[in-house]
Amino acid sequence: MVLFLSLLALLNSFSPKVKIENAWVRPAARGMNSALYFNLDNVTTKADALYKVTSKSAEVVQLHSTVKNNDGTMGMKEIKQIAIPAKSVVKFEPGGYHVMLINLKRSLRPHSKIEFTFYFKSAGKVKVKAIVKKE
Amino acid sequence: MKTTINKMVNILATAALLLILLYSCGCGQKLPENRPSGIKPVRLLNQDSSIINFPDAFKGKTLLLSFIYTNCPDICPMTTHNMQLIQEQLKKENIDYVRLAEMSFDPARDTPHILKEFGDIRDIDYKNFTFLTGNSQDIKNILDSMNILALPGDTTKTESGNIVYFFTHTDRITLIDKEGKIRNEYRGSKTNIQQIINDIKTLGD
Ligand SMILES: [Cu+2]
Repeated sequence: MVLFLSLLALLNSFSPKVKIENAWVRPAARGMNSALYFNLDNVTTKADALYKVTSKSAEVVQLHSTVKNNDGTMGMKEIKQIAIPAKSVVKFEPGGYHVMLINLKRSLRPHSKIEFTFYFKSAGKVKVKAIVKKE
Repeated sequence: MKTTINKMVNILATAALLLILLYSCGCGQKLPENRPSGIKPVRLLNQDSSIINFPDAFKGKTLLLSFIYTNCPDICPMTTHNMQLIQEQLKKENIDYVRLAEMSFDPARDTPHILKEFGDIRDIDYKNFTFLTGNSQDIKNILDSMNILALPGDTTKTESGNIVYFFTHTDRITLIDKEGKIRNEYRGSKTNIQQIINDIKTLGD
């Protein structure tokens, strides 16, 4: 039974999942906010969705979208989840989708790294390391 | 007959050449705006808590002024990054008559100390770059006269009791000439840096 389960786990780790690429975060001082950006590459033939991201380095982590209003002003809104259709790439990039980091527990200096856990509907939990950079 | 045609070709070629010269040297270019900023002189603070008489401290210099708040995670850092790129380009081209300033529209939270942290973590070169904050009413008057909107959204409280709110705001960089007149306005976050550099050159020293 144990062998069977570990074999299953092994198989699962080889099965294709949504890939998280080029994860990076903006520099920010402790107590301030920042944003995480990346590309989600769904190489599978099944749609998936990102519904949560966590980090020990921020008090609150939310999925956000930057929005442009009719009067030209910019704002943001929280979103519950982001669909990643089969065989497609969804970009989290400046001025668009971002993972919002509220009340940082430490300063994020350029070139340092920060860890996140991504939660997908199908792919489950995935750990990601992002680099802090100015851009 | 042939010489007449030749003469005409010559005249046309010369005219075309003159036109090209006129455009390439920028002498024929006009900036879209030329209006007073309407800002009444006030005392603001920079990131070191030094008093900056605004806008008088920038008279005689070309000023590139942008509007931000440091709790902004996405748009304002893009604007700040663009300001830094412009600063680097100006340095490369030895253009020394420009000052860059970022004014906070969230003076309640953006104290000089917070602005300094925001700048330091981005390695801002403060030589010709300054952050500005001040008394809420003074800032509001400046925003109003420059048509900058900044509306705070709903406030939420985190588990640790931290108060969180964001602004819906105008995304802008403004070019002000040495007489204090507004000469052009650009988007702050996604902007054509080369156009701003060209406009600065058009204004000249
Ligand atoms: Cu956000």
